[in-house]
Amino acid sequence: MTTPLLEASAPLGSRRRGRTTRRVAGVALAGLVAFAVVGPLVLPDPAAQDLGRFLEAPTLAEPLGRDDYGRSVLARVAHATRLSLVLAALCVATALILGTVAGIASAWFGGWVDAILRSVSEAFVAIPALLVVLLVSALASGGSLWALYLGLALAQWVEYFRVVRARAGLVLGSPAVEAAGLLELGPVHVVRRHLWPDLRPLLTTIASLGMVTSILAMSTLGFVKVGLEPPRAELGLMITESFPFYDVAPWMSLAPIAVLFLLTVCFLGLRSSEDNA
Amino acid sequence: MTDLTMTDLTLSGHDLRVPRAVVRHGETPLVDVADLQVAPGRPLTIVGESGSGKSVLAHALMGTLPPELVPEGTMSIGPARFDLADRRGRRHLWGHHVALLPQEPALALDPTMRVRHQVAEGAPGWRPRSTAALRLAEERLRDLGLANAGSAYPHTLSGGMAQRVAYAAATIGGARILIVDEPSKGLDPGSLDRLADLLTRHSAEGGLLVTITHDLRLARRLGGDVLVMREASVVEAGPVEQVLSASADPYTRRLVGAEPSRWRFPWMTVGAARPAEGEPVVAAEAIAKSYGETPLFDDLSVEIRRGERWAVTGPSGVGKTTLGNALLRLTALDRGAVRHSEVARGGRLQKLYQDPALSFPRRVPLAAAMRDVVRRHGAEEGRVRSLLSEVGLPLDVLDRRPSQVSGGELQRIAIVRAMLTRPVLIFADEATSRLDLASQETTMDILMTEVADSGCALLLVTHDVDLAAATTDHRLHLGPADGAALDQAGASVPV
Repeated sequence: MTTPLLEASAPLGSRRRGRTTRRVAGVALAGLVAFAVVGPLVLPDPAAQDLGRFLEAPTLAEPLGRDDYGRSVLARVAHATRLSLVLAALCVATALILGTVAGIASAWFGGWVDAILRSVSEAFVAIPALLVVLLVSALASGGSLWALYLGLALAQWVEYFRVVRARAGLVLGSPAVEAAGLLELGPVHVVRRHLWPDLRPLLTTIASLGMVTSILAMSTLGFVKVGLEPPRAELGLMITESFPFYDVAPWMSLAPIAVLFLLTVCFLGLRSSEDNA
Repeated sequence: MTDLTMTDLTLSGHDLRVPRAVVRHGETPLVDVADLQVAPGRPLTIVGESGSGKSVLAHALMGTLPPELVPEGTMSIGPARFDLADRRGRRHLWGHHVALLPQEPALALDPTMRVRHQVAEGAPGWRPRSTAALRLAEERLRDLGLANAGSAYPHTLSGGMAQRVAYAAATIGGARILIVDEPSKGLDPGSLDRLADLLTRHSAEGGLLVTITHDLRLARRLGGDVLVMREASVVEAGPVEQVLSASADPYTRRLVGAEPSRWRFPWMTVGAARPAEGEPVVAAEAIAKSYGETPLFDDLSVEIRRGERWAVTGPSGVGKTTLGNALLRLTALDRGAVRHSEVARGGRLQKLYQDPALSFPRRVPLAAAMRDVVRRHGAEEGRVRSLLSEVGLPLDVLDRRPSQVSGGELQRIAIVRAMLTRPVLIFADEATSRLDLASQETTMDILMTEVADSGCALLLVTHDVDLAAATTDHRLHLGPADGAALDQAGASVPV
């Protein structure tokens, strides 16, 4: 082996900075999750209207004010955040499992399994992700949560499939797996000791990006009124609904925008920069 | 400009002297040597095991140490004196006066550039697209027997050719002082001979040559003086013949004794005495394999029985490893078949790799990988511990990952792993070619002791004829042109 004069020491400063970033992002995200879990339990019903108090400015009791129907903006934001996080997590988990299993199968068996999986994935790549979601939503009855979930998961699995297939191909062709074959250690050992440790850092990175993509896609669909329908509290929908009142009640649009922004920044900050060599 | 011409005048025909050189990493001294001297026509070779500070010394002289390493001391070339701590002061010497031939030239060459252009870059007065430099490069390449390689990319060259291209690139600037770092790594004897001829010629024409190596045969070939280094300091220095044949120093004697041709181990006699037993474990019938148009072997038949020790030898690139893989059924054949006997079932044909780090799962601790082997093969409790102590390693070495263990130690762990399956055949694929002599001796001793104790067969792929002679009694020589030739040493079964 090449004997370098000294093992290349990664710049310590940048690694420490990366760790701090991840810690801050983790804490902020935990705060948002707590808000999404606890908020809907303690706050009033997001659909309860009080037309007498419409567009009320923020007060101590109602920190984000009320909207055009007199509904509590804070309660609506809490419900919308919970919906976004739960749906995004479901979509990412589904896409991750589907893509990883298909990717490993493709690299492991090769031949016609690989050919079929690859052509299916390429068909999905050829259609823009939002169009897949739109197609699925159009087929299902309007505003259904299931259609949104299915559409988003289908639009995302290809990414996992392609990355996993490429990396698993490399790992499975390595001398280490050849040695495991000679030792007859079996497929469980190969997946557990060779594939999974190698894929894990890649998958966490794609998954945190996938959360961002799902949340943004959901609110984009809400914004163009294709996704969920009012009166459901959804971040994109809330932004659209608040547009007519941006000059008299700016807090109405700022709250969902701020939540979207924070969620995006936190998930991007969580990505591990090291350890994917 | 006058400065440069001054140096030009003063540097030619003088000795290189280093009154004292110290290199530290933090508090640890990596090199501490005094009174080095290299004269024109009298090469200096620095030998020693890995980690003795040889390469660090070479880079300290060159002025290319990484910033964490702090050099001290001076060197002088004739009347010109240089401070070793001043990294920039020697830059103007690079290429024109001092050149370094790096380790693993195949990695040092730019994979995206044609050979001719990389060599031309070092020529005096080089400008982009300068035809004079290209012509000079072609001329140099022709001198080195690489007339057709000029328009090739480095990945198409063999190890020996890449080494000569790197040599052309290093010396085209007319450097008289040539520092060569571990030239023998991964080279077969033929290629190493050609390189040794080039180095000898450089020295005979009045050049100053400093060679770092752990290959004592190369040191003997180059002649001149030799410097034995151990743990940062010089153990012994003097003329090659004297130091390497009649040394008084115990460390030097151990180093010389580590050459395979001088080994004396109990297992060396066991193999010849033990008769080969019964059924062949692995039998190849008229197998053939070629890569594209090049046939590697054709119509080759071989039978390996328990207790037999086979060596596959030949220059690099003739298909030694492919043959070994074919016998283990790891590679598809063009024609013929390989049969494995009943006893070989259940993972009892094992392989040791050239780079053991690649043969373990790289992201999990060794203990986890080992536990799976123990569980699968039902090895009894404490077998790992006893095997590890047999190869001289503590149990807690398994807490580390493969990249945190040295190559020699990891190869011993690979031997332990192979032994857990109670193998009937071990295929060692250049398993020690990247280790220094002392580690090679330890590793081979451990492997052969295990092989002799368990009575399993050995298939050794190597380009080192001495190593093959010391460890095996059946020989399979692969040649580039005539395909395979069976050659049996010892009194064992003819095929």
